[in-house]
Amino acid sequence: MSELLSNLALGFGVAFSPMNVLFCLLGALVGTLVGVLPGIGTVATIAMLLPITFGLPPVGALIMLAGIYYGAQYGGSTTSVLVNIPGEATSVVTCLDGHQMARQGRAGAALAIAAIGSFFAGCVATVLVAALGAPLTSLALLFGPAEYFSLMVLGLIFAVVLAKGSVIKAIAMVLTGLLMSMVGSDLETGAGRMTFDVAELADGIGFTNIAMGVFGFAEIIRNLELPSESRDIVSSKVTGLMPTRKDLIDASGAIARGTLLGSLLGILPGGGAVIASFAAYTFEKRISKNPGQFGKGAIQGVAAPESANNAAAQTAFIPLLTLGIPPNAVMALMVGAMTIHGIVPGPQVMTKQPDLFWGMIASMWIGNLMLVVINLPLVGVWVTLLRVPYRLLFPSIIVFCCIGIYSINNAPTDVMISAMFGVVGYWLIKHDFEAAPMLLGFVLGPLMEENLRRAMLIARGDATVFFTRPISGGLLAVSIILLILAVLPMIRKRREEVFVE
Amino acid sequence: MAEDVQPSRNVPHMDEPLTNRLRGGLIIAVISLLLVGATFYISSPTVSRVMAILTGVVGVGVIAGLIPIRAPQDFYGGLALVLLATFALIASAELPGQRGFAFGPGTAPRLFAIILAVLGAAVALIGAFSDGPRIEKYNIRGPILVIIGISLFAALIRPFGLVVATYLAFMVSITGSKEMRWIESLIAAAAMTLGCVLLFVYLLNLPFQLWPQSNAPQLLFNQFAELFKSFLLILSKLVPGLWTDPSRLRLPCPNSSRILHWASGWLSPR
Repeated sequence: MSELLSNLALGFGVAFSPMNVLFCLLGALVGTLVGVLPGIGTVATIAMLLPITFGLPPVGALIMLAGIYYGAQYGGSTTSVLVNIPGEATSVVTCLDGHQMARQGRAGAALAIAAIGSFFAGCVATVLVAALGAPLTSLALLFGPAEYFSLMVLGLIFAVVLAKGSVIKAIAMVLTGLLMSMVGSDLETGAGRMTFDVAELADGIGFTNIAMGVFGFAEIIRNLELPSESRDIVSSKVTGLMPTRKDLIDASGAIARGTLLGSLLGILPGGGAVIASFAAYTFEKRISKNPGQFGKGAIQGVAAPESANNAAAQTAFIPLLTLGIPPNAVMALMVGAMTIHGIVPGPQVMTKQPDLFWGMIASMWIGNLMLVVINLPLVGVWVTLLRVPYRLLFPSIIVFCCIGIYSINNAPTDVMISAMFGVVGYWLIKHDFEAAPMLLGFVLGPLMEENLRRAMLIARGDATVFFTRPISGGLLAVSIILLILAVLPMIRKRREEVFVE
Repeated sequence: MAEDVQPSRNVPHMDEPLTNRLRGGLIIAVISLLLVGATFYISSPTVSRVMAILTGVVGVGVIAGLIPIRAPQDFYGGLALVLLATFALIASAELPGQRGFAFGPGTAPRLFAIILAVLGAAVALIGAFSDGPRIEKYNIRGPILVIIGISLFAALIRPFGLVVATYLAFMVSITGSKEMRWIESLIAAAAMTLGCVLLFVYLLNLPFQLWPQSNAPQLLFNQFAELFKSFLLILSKLVPGLWTDPSRLRLPCPNSSRILHWASGWLSPR
């Protein structure tokens, strides 16, 4: 315990140096500004802003990146609430109730609750990361390829269970994502797979291209066919920018539960933040006294997923800093940034560069504080975005998305590929398939395949290894139980229907 | 208009109207036929050929009205996944498979493709035998204009620069909305372009081409040529016998490859 305190003290010592506080503030501010542009989510924001940090010293650069990350994430939720366009999967759930609140004129309250919830979650998660970092590093040594594979299966099953609608369709979407992730060069042999010798496909399909296409463009195309009154926001009556005391009391329980759930799920690889926000929302709805309110502007429906995804975003650093595996696309970008500064992520970071490790953890807390400081006064500014009519907003979003995609690699082909995925996403919506599990499968695909191949090679082709090794077997057992639990109510309902007939 | 897109969950034994059946079945049958054709160019075609033929038979069955479709959303969705899986099987057919205990590059794609095919078939089966919602009507005009706008941005950004690309992409995609007003749109597009230039080029310092390059039309043409070449490349991988290498066609009949060679001599550009 005293060791933990002295470590944190070291971290705050590093993070509170005036330069680093400035970097953090700057990162959070720029991150929010870019993240708030509709259609530009966390991944695109970080990718666009990455070059700014190249000239800084490693600690400063990583602190600034962390600031950008939180800023971008918060900015993304702002767009979800105001214009109903999630910049990425984590804020999909926030749209449901947040946007309804905005349409009832309570956008200010929704945004403020999101900021407060995120701050609380950030505080808890920072302590958690500091406390769990060291013990989990030793756990990392117990993890072989089989365990990694099973852990990822568990993450994917979580995503399937929490997706709305049919379980089979969600699993099919996960597999579609896995299959798409295999386009490109093979990890071990370098053979081009399913590329048809097209040079642009040799590196695989970019994550942002799919995400922007399926979530950004498809959503816009979809919105165009809805009658205008259902998407134009009633701009006249924006009442009270701050949440009332009743709002705060209503939301406090949801924030606490969301934080807890988010912290736990964030540690899982597999887009923990996405799963966490879905799980927190479903959980709130299930325990609520009047679940009918959800989807119609319940403040708990904003507070819970927002706290959960922020907590998860933070604890997602645990697998990165201890096991060295990036649990989601953003973390993958962070790995890239670290490598540029000559840092190899993994267990050795903590022992070899303690000032970097603990400085970054401390700066997470400072970053969250900055968000509250920046955003509470700015809520009024964001709300004025509501006054732009949708017919002018949607082409702006399209242009922003195009520039965002193009800026990542300076490749026009990327823009074309996302346009194609926009059509795919439109088709998926029409056939009631969910895009989130597909994206998750896509992100985890390469890691999963690599570990599957390694595990099979080590076990000399014996597939039972996944069940006989205790940790791996345990993880798989939990996945199977979860899956059965998810399918059971479906079977029961179907049988009830049969009986009624 | 709102009435006929209502999901009719309560109506038991709902069947697809004839025109939808014809359209849906025809699309499935044609794609399956193309995939069956493509299996003649790979070395181990059995599984993918059987899958393609089976979906083709289902497509014909749909046209003939022999197959119940009680939930069109799921039925067509599931079949599309089966077709996607078949395509993936064909595309990864030439990759080396398992050698000893080691997975080859082709093992995992084929494994996952087969699982996807099974799941897709399950979704389609459920869609055939239990009631579910209809497919909502597709909107054509909006999506096409938006996609054209995006493609225009992609085509113009390099040769003509950010200003032209942004302005035109904005103007084309805004016509996708039915509530478009001309004067307002022209002003908004200009404001948006200015904002983007200030934000991305001056504030964020991103390395964008701002104004048209001196040889812009030439560059644009080169880009299109490049795109066309990639397109031809993919096509030639799928149907190579048509103009590249007829000897790769694996047909049971001995004379067929000679006939095809002769035909491709006529068809190929050279």
